Order: sequence, then C-alpha cells, then structure tokens
Amino acid sequence: MFDRLEIFMLASAQARHAAARQAVVAQNIANADTPGYRTKDITEFAEVLRSLQRRPERLNGMLPIRASEVSSPASPNGNNVSLELEMLRGVEADRAHSRALRVYGSAMEILRTSLGRR
Amino acid sequence: MTEFSSALGVAASGMRSQAQRLTHVSENIANTDTPGYRRKTVAFRPDRGPDAPQGAVMPGRVQLDRRDLTKIYDPGHPMADETGHYFGSNVDLVVELADAREAQRSYEANLKVFDQIRQMSTSLNDLLRR
Repeated sequence: MFDRLEIFMLASAQARHAAARQAVVAQNIANADTPGYRTKDITEFAEVLRSLQRRPERLNGMLPIRASEVSSPASPNGNNVSLELEMLRGVEADRAHSRALRVYGSAMEILRTSLGRR
Repeated sequence: MTEFSSALGVAASGMRSQAQRLTHVSENIANTDTPGYRRKTVAFRPDRGPDAPQGAVMPGRVQLDRRDLTKIYDPGHPMADETGHYFGSNVDLVVELADAREAQRSYEANLKVFDQIRQMSTSLNDLLRR
C-alpha cells in the first residue's frame, strides 16, 4: 500500500489543478472589460486524471492541463466574460483546493499515527 | 507557488485598471459644467510588458468622446455668442454614474479573487508547516 501512495499523488494533483483554475479565473475577471477578450477555462480534473493514467510516467511533475477559449454570447465590444460565472468558478476552485489539502493532511496524520509518531 | 504569485499580479492589475477607470469617471463628473469639456473614455487592453504576468490588463490610451457638446442658452454668460448660446460639456451624469457602478463591481470581483488566492496560498503554507 505504501509503495506509491496514490492518495498523495491524487490530492496533490487536485490541489494543483484547482490552483491553475483559480489563476485562469483571475485572468478572466481582470479582463472583464477588455474589448475582444474571450473567457478561458482549463481541462476538467477528470480529464486530467484520465490522461495521467493513460501515460503512467509523469511528465516531469507537470499536469497535462490545457487552457482553451470558451465560446459564449459576447457583448458589443467582443468581450464574453460573465462576472457571475467567474465568481462561481473561483469559489469551486477554492473549495476543491481546500478539500484536496484536507485529504492530504488527513492521509499524513494516518501515516504518522501508523508510524507511532504523534 | 509561482502561479499563485502571477495570479495575484493579474488580480492586482485588474484592480489598478478599474481604479484608473474610476479616476476618469470622477474627472468627467467634476467637469460636467466646464464649457468645452469632452468626456474621457479609456479602453483596457492586455498588458504584454516584459515583467507583467500572463493575462494582466492595463488601461489603454485615454480618448475623448467625439459626441457633440450641449448648447446652453444663457445670454448673460460671458462666453455666450450673438444668439445667447454657449457650448457646455458632453458629459451625461447618468452614464457616468452607471460607469462608476460598473467599475466598482469589477473592482470588488477582482478583490474577491485576490483574497481567495491569498487564502489558498496560506492554507498550502499551513499544510507544509504541519
């Protein structure tokens, strides 16, 4: 069970994905008034996991995340950022991040307890 | 961790740009009655400077609204012509107030994201500390 510690890899991947998502949300909100700017989003975490499992060798620690533009109705100046949607995405990323960190922390606790250390 | 710092930089650039926009709005409102004043507008554009984080935004060039100035009838005014009219400004208070509200809303959204990123970074640090 302890040779690969899947749960740590999973939790760390989830946390990094959530951080990348939050970075993209920050970009979208900062550019909410820039003419011609299109909302960006990154690949879903399930998709990232799948492509990670397909290629078991880690791509030197980097996650296969790709940012792409979202097509949705644009305002007259070409900008299609919706502030409400971005705030929602930001909150989702925040919660996914804290969830992943909590899972990581609990797994660490279990490991420490099983080692007999407090 | 560096993507946290670049995301913070992006949110900060958004706040700076909205604050600059609000500055121009308040200039317009202050000069509503200045004869010959044309309202200032500023459009944002992506900041592609060498030390700007990817996706940062900056205010572009300030432009003057080319709409016609209002003609005000006041024969007693020192600048009135033979018909008794003089040109005021082309500032519409309703438009400026709506713009100010938009700028405030965008500023608060940027601030919220900034706070969220800061919290994520802090909890990550706390995890490392334990």
